[in-house]
Amino acid sequence: MAHLKTALTGYVSYRGREGQWAFLLHRISGLGTGLFLTIHIVDIALVYFAPQLFLEVLQLYRSTLFGIGEIFLVFCVFYHGVNGLRIALFDLKAAQRWNIPTARGSARLVLIIALVLWLPCAVWMLRSLLLHNFGLFQ
Amino acid sequence: MKGGLAMQNTAPRNFETFAWRAMRISAFLLIPLVWGHMILQDVVVGVHNMDLGYVAERWASLFWRIYDGLLLGLAFAHGVNGLRQVLRDYLHGEIARRIVNWGALAFWLILTLVGFAALIAGVRAQ
Repeated sequence: MAHLKTALTGYVSYRGREGQWAFLLHRISGLGTGLFLTIHIVDIALVYFAPQLFLEVLQLYRSTLFGIGEIFLVFCVFYHGVNGLRIALFDLKAAQRWNIPTARGSARLVLIIALVLWLPCAVWMLRSLLLHNFGLFQ
Repeated sequence: MKGGLAMQNTAPRNFETFAWRAMRISAFLLIPLVWGHMILQDVVVGVHNMDLGYVAERWASLFWRIYDGLLLGLAFAHGVNGLRQVLRDYLHGEIARRIVNWGALAFWLILTLVGFAALIAGVRAQ
């Protein structure tokens, strides 16, 4: 637990800029996606184990709160994917090019790509949420 | 991460080296699989247009069952190992790490089996 405290206070005080932000965002988006994936395996398994319960879970997923969460989940998945690709390409193909300028530049590029992928999806999902939950755009 | 080059030369041939590699190599398969699944289900179709019939119709196709099987097998293993690696960053004791390793294995195995059981059995007739 002492290690956890050291790490968490370190995350706040350490000024690693882009590389550190990418590390934190990768970690948070990965843990968030993993949490949803765990729930998602269980909810889909319900179609066999308890179909009526599956329908109730669907109702919960259709709520506004979950709809907003879903939009953020999509960002997490895009960001984690693009940043994961950056890590995999550098580590496996160009380890000698891991340095502060390339790490910072690529971290910025990753965020831009993830946002460009996410924004049209977010707009469409928000539209769908407003349409179904608030009767807009009818 | 920054010691990538050194790692290629000195990394021991053990499970941790294998896991380190597997996390990166699985990314190349997971990106098209996960993004394809997510864009189709969350954005194009949407949760408001899903019911038991939708799942049954989708799983009537062997292609989508194999697709979902690959997703379940790859994504959850990647996720659980990721969680294990995060916990190992904060838990340095030998016993704590052993508990994390076995806990992760049990968690991964149980949910993977539950997922595949449903994927193979399909939607239960009402």
